[in-house]
Amino acid sequence: MIGVSYPESKPVELSGARPGSGANFPGSGFARRGWIPATTPERRQQWMGWLTIAPALFLILALTLYPVAYSIWLSLLEKHSFFPQERFIGLENYFYLWKDEEFWTSLWLGTVYSMWTILFQIILGVAAALILNETFVGRGLVRAIVLFPYMIPTIVAVILWKWLLNDTYGVVNYWLFAFGIIRDPMSWLGADHIMLSVIVMSIWQFFPFVLLSILARLQTIPPELYEAAKVDGASAIRRFLNVTLPQIRGILFVVILLRSIWMFTKFDTVWLMGEGAGAGRFIRTLPVYAYMRTLTYYQAGLGAALAVIMFAILIVCTIIYFRMFREEADIG
Amino acid sequence: MNRWRRRRLLTRSLLYGGAAFLALQAAFPFFWMLSTSFKPPVEVFAQPPSFIPEDPTWDNFRRLFTATGFLVYFKNSLIVSGLAVLLTMVVSAAGAYSLTRYRYLGREKIAGLILCTYMFAPIMVVIPFFILVKKAGVENTHFALVLAFTSFCLPFTLWLMRAFFATIPLELEEAALVDGAGRVRALIYVVLPLALPGIIATSIFTFILAWNDYIFTRILITSDELKTLPVGVQDLFHSALIDWGLIMAAGIMITIPALLFFLSVQKYLIRGWGAGGVKG
Repeated sequence: MIGVSYPESKPVELSGARPGSGANFPGSGFARRGWIPATTPERRQQWMGWLTIAPALFLILALTLYPVAYSIWLSLLEKHSFFPQERFIGLENYFYLWKDEEFWTSLWLGTVYSMWTILFQIILGVAAALILNETFVGRGLVRAIVLFPYMIPTIVAVILWKWLLNDTYGVVNYWLFAFGIIRDPMSWLGADHIMLSVIVMSIWQFFPFVLLSILARLQTIPPELYEAAKVDGASAIRRFLNVTLPQIRGILFVVILLRSIWMFTKFDTVWLMGEGAGAGRFIRTLPVYAYMRTLTYYQAGLGAALAVIMFAILIVCTIIYFRMFREEADIG
Repeated sequence: MNRWRRRRLLTRSLLYGGAAFLALQAAFPFFWMLSTSFKPPVEVFAQPPSFIPEDPTWDNFRRLFTATGFLVYFKNSLIVSGLAVLLTMVVSAAGAYSLTRYRYLGREKIAGLILCTYMFAPIMVVIPFFILVKKAGVENTHFALVLAFTSFCLPFTLWLMRAFFATIPLELEEAALVDGAGRVRALIYVVLPLALPGIIATSIFTFILAWNDYIFTRILITSDELKTLPVGVQDLFHSALIDWGLIMAAGIMITIPALLFFLSVQKYLIRGWGAGGVKG
C-alpha cells in the first residue's frame, strides 16, 4: 500500500455509504471502495483533493472568516470609517454601548421584529405547505406564484409596499376606507405603525422560504402513513399531529434556526423601509444600528463592536436552541 | 352519505379558498406595480384608484431610460452578477468535485466549516469587509463587489453542487477510467454532462442572489457610474416629490430578469431546496 495516511477502519465517506475495505489487491475494492476509483493511488488522492478544494477554501477563509475575525480586533479600536488613523482602546467601545440607551432600544426593537416575523412565517409557511401539498386544479401555477415575493430584490418589495401603504394614495388605505374599517387615512409608515408595517411586509417576503422547505419534506412522506391513520379513523387534526408533525420536525428545526439567524440580522428590508419614512428610528434594529454607527457616524470601531455583540448573541442562542431540542437536532 | 359529501364539499372549498388567498397575496402587489407603471402622473394619484390604467402610456419607461441612470445601472448589474456567477461556479464545481470524488484528510471538517459559514449574515461580514477593502485600496470597484458576492454565495453553491455531484453514479466514471480515459476526459465527457442541470440551476440561484443584493453594493460602491440596480433605484427616492410611476417602472424592469431566471429553474427548485436552499 502506498501512502496510507489514515486507518481504513475510520471511513470518511459522505453519509457513511459504501465503507472502504482494507484490501488493495486487484479487482477487490472496485465497487466496494466507493468514492475513489481504484486506479488512483492514495497519495495522489490527497494532493488532488486538496488542490481542487483549495480555491473555495481560500475564498471562504479570506473573504468571510478573516473579516469576521478582524471585526473582533476592529471592535477594540477607535477608528474613523474613512480615515486610516486607528487607536487601540481596549473594551471601551463595549463599555460605551453598555451605557448607550440607543443600543438597548435597538436590541429590543430587533427582538420584537424578529420574534413576530419568525412566528408568523412558520405558521403561515407550514399552513401554506399543507395546502400546496394537496391536489387541486392549478396547483403548479399557485406553487410558482407563491414564491415570487421571495425571489425579487428587496428594493422592489420595499417600493411595492411603500406604494401600497402610502397614506394619501395607497390602495390599502383606500380599501380600508371603502369597507368602512377606518375613517381617517392611517399613516402606516408613521411612528405608531411602522413596526407593524415592516413586520407584515417581512412575513410576506420571507414565508415562502419556510413554505418551500416544508413542502419539499412533505413530498417525501410515504402516503401509506396517512392511509393507515385514515383506516384507524384519525381526524385531520390528529393526522397532522401524529403523522405529519413527527415527519417534518427535523426540517422544522433547521428552518426555524436559519430563519431566526437571518431575521435577527436582517438589514436591507428594515433599513430600506425606514429610510426616508421619517419614522425610521422606530424600527432601528440592531443590524441597522450597526450600519449607522459605521456609515452615518463613521465610528467603525463601534459598528464592529455591535456586529460582534450580534454574533455573540446568535452563538449563545444557537447553543441554547440545540440544547433545548436535542432530539430534533439528531433528526435534522 | 349526504353528510360525507357535505364534509367533502366543505374541505374542498376551504382548500380552494386557501389556495386562492395564497395566489392573490403574492400576485396582487406585482399586478399593482405593473398597473401603476403604465399610468400617466394624473392617474397615479387619482382617487379612487383605477385598477387597469384607463389611459396607458409608455411614458414612465421612456423617462426611466432617458432621464435616469437606469441603463448604466442595468449594465453594471449584468456585469457584476455575471462575473460573480462565473467565478462562483468554477470555484464551487472544483470544490464539489473534490468533496465527492477524492478522499483526503480533513475533508469532512472542510465540508462542516463551509456549512457553518452558510449561516453568516451579510451585516456581520460587511462592516469589517468594508474596512479591509479600503485598506487594500480596491474600494469602489466592481472587482471588490464580485469578490464579495462570490464569498457570500460560495457556501451555499458548494453545498448544492456537492449534493448534485453526489447523485452522479461513480460507476460511470469508473467505467470510463477502465476504458482508458484519463480523469480529465472522464470529467468532461461523463461527469459534466450529467451535472449540467445542477450547474445551471446553481448558477441561476447565484445570479438571483447577486442581482438582488443591496448591502454590499451600498457599502462598497460610491460613484454613481458603478452602482447596480437596487442601489440606483433606491436613489430615485431622493428627489423632493416621489415619482411613483417612474419608480414602479424601474421595479418592473428589475423584477423581470429575476423572475425569468426563477421560472426557468423552478423545476429544480424543490430538489435543490432539500440540499441547502437559497439564502436570504
